[in-house]
Amino acid sequence: MRFANRLTLLPAVLLALAMFAVPVGFVLAEAVFTPELSLAHFERFFARPAYLSIFRNTLFVSAVVAGICLVLGYPMALFIVSQPPRRRPLLLFLVLVPLWMSILVRTYAWMVVLGREGIVNGALQWLGLIGEPLTLMFTTGAVYVAMVQILLPIMVVTCYTAMTEIDPGLVRAARVCGASPFAAFRKVFLPLSLEGAVTGWSVIFILSMGFFIVPALVGGRRDVLLGNMIVNQVGQANWGFAGALAIVLLVSTVLLLALVRLIIGRFLYSPREMQA
Amino acid sequence: MRKLTRRTLLAAAAALPLAAGVAVAQDVEITYAGSGGGLAQVMDMLFDKPFTEATGIRVKALATTDRVSAMRAMMQAGNPIWDVAELTPIEYATASIEGWLEPMDWDVIDPNGLQPPEARLPDGGIAATYSTILAQRTDKLPEGRKMTSWADFWNVEAFPGPRALQDSVMENLEFALLADGVEIKDLYTVLATEEGVDRAFAKLDEIKPHVVSFWSAGAQPVQMLSDGEVAFTTAWNGRITQLKAEGVPVETVWNGGAIKPSYVGILKGTKHKKEAEQYVAFMIGDPVRGAEFAKLVAYPSMVKGLYDHIDPEAGREMPTHPDNIAGQFVVDAVFWARNMDALQERWQEWLLD
Repeated sequence: MRFANRLTLLPAVLLALAMFAVPVGFVLAEAVFTPELSLAHFERFFARPAYLSIFRNTLFVSAVVAGICLVLGYPMALFIVSQPPRRRPLLLFLVLVPLWMSILVRTYAWMVVLGREGIVNGALQWLGLIGEPLTLMFTTGAVYVAMVQILLPIMVVTCYTAMTEIDPGLVRAARVCGASPFAAFRKVFLPLSLEGAVTGWSVIFILSMGFFIVPALVGGRRDVLLGNMIVNQVGQANWGFAGALAIVLLVSTVLLLALVRLIIGRFLYSPREMQA
Repeated sequence: MRKLTRRTLLAAAAALPLAAGVAVAQDVEITYAGSGGGLAQVMDMLFDKPFTEATGIRVKALATTDRVSAMRAMMQAGNPIWDVAELTPIEYATASIEGWLEPMDWDVIDPNGLQPPEARLPDGGIAATYSTILAQRTDKLPEGRKMTSWADFWNVEAFPGPRALQDSVMENLEFALLADGVEIKDLYTVLATEEGVDRAFAKLDEIKPHVVSFWSAGAQPVQMLSDGEVAFTTAWNGRITQLKAEGVPVETVWNGGAIKPSYVGILKGTKHKKEAEQYVAFMIGDPVRGAEFAKLVAYPSMVKGLYDHIDPEAGREMPTHPDNIAGQFVVDAVFWARNMDALQERWQEWLLD
């Protein structure tokens, strides 16, 4: 019976293999088989300081963007959960609206906002706070602002989902037993919602690792992520090196996420386990 | 040896439909790999539709990017799904070096000899030209002065203001050498040496702190000029003509511009070689149609007699106009196809430094 159950998974697995795993495999194979079987592309990556610094930068930017999203997104989700259930869908809808706009459009919008003659500089100059326009575009700060704006809704939704899984009775029980509202939040709600927060952080981290449009458009010359390098290399028909970069990206993401899970897993309650 | 055999086979395969072609020509569709966008609309109106009317051969125009990778995949699979492709200089040089293009039968494509010798390539033609030029915001210039050369672009005392360059090693090294006083005729001889490359990068070091952005898409310099984000930048000439038409005070400096032909090639192993040749002939062989095209997109071909059919004022906005062509150089596609990889890596490191 169990085996028959698993058989129903087969079409999905086959589809995923044919449409995803096999093509990805072909691309990744380029890394070691182009032009002939060797690890030369990986040697090139690890031997040049420029690539390593891009790699470190990618990890750093992704972790920071995911961190900022967490700090901003968790309270937003908390606010939505605390609202009467009838109002929640509207608030979630408002959070999700930006997701339906193309990343390219939203990035260009940031160029209009942050430019030398843009909205922010215009307003500051009109108020007489600055004489010369500030350099906001083509900076690392602009990359952070644009990436956080693009990815924040995902964090809110992830945290929100985790929070709705928490039995409100648990917080009420804490209050009945004499905990202050803050203590009830800190000792009961926060630990139970942490899994959602970590999941949100991880999802945003993964997505950030692959970003390339935003740094290319609003970043400066040093704001290059691995994604940009892969685009460049594919553009120059260096599939082998692009494949090697993709493998580095994939492996490092998986390893880092496993590490996060391992560390956090020891200190974390899962709402699902608690309620089971 | 193996390659030779495969090539012979491919040539034989390509020749087959030639023999049988006449009977089926009425219901043939050829696939053209272009860039899409506004260019595709113009081509559809000026080339594709009239061509179908004249010959009965339908043209399927694709919007493509990253054509080298796509062609490589097609050649590996031995199945070109494109018949004719628009090619950038690097794409053309790569495809030519790798042998991915059919030889051009110039007696068929240009029987009247209207193409200049430098455009009659063994395996490609020149469909259009554009230039990477220096563009300046005239309202951001110091009183009574205008940039006229790359030396001016490098001169931040006389011409203060934020600048932008393309995020590409190609052309920027040439511009740096021109700014450093190298003559156009010596450009690629200097670049072919290690000292020449060092000299170009050293010159780029001088301008680096004043370059606020290294753009990667053609729309960016236009956006930055019109937003006032930069006062001086490299750009593609057609975009500046458009920007000027929109009323932004910008001007093109043709001197030192890098002419980059847009090549057209027929893919090795196509099943429609004859039709593809007809299409290429139709596209690049007629100065009147070529002039119509240039009027709409400002990317003129090299066909003789082109400027007889273009309004003189519009003609002066074009890279191959006799008044503009003098100080420009043609990008050496083969040099770049061979050296791109190593130099681009150095460029990447230079950017991060």
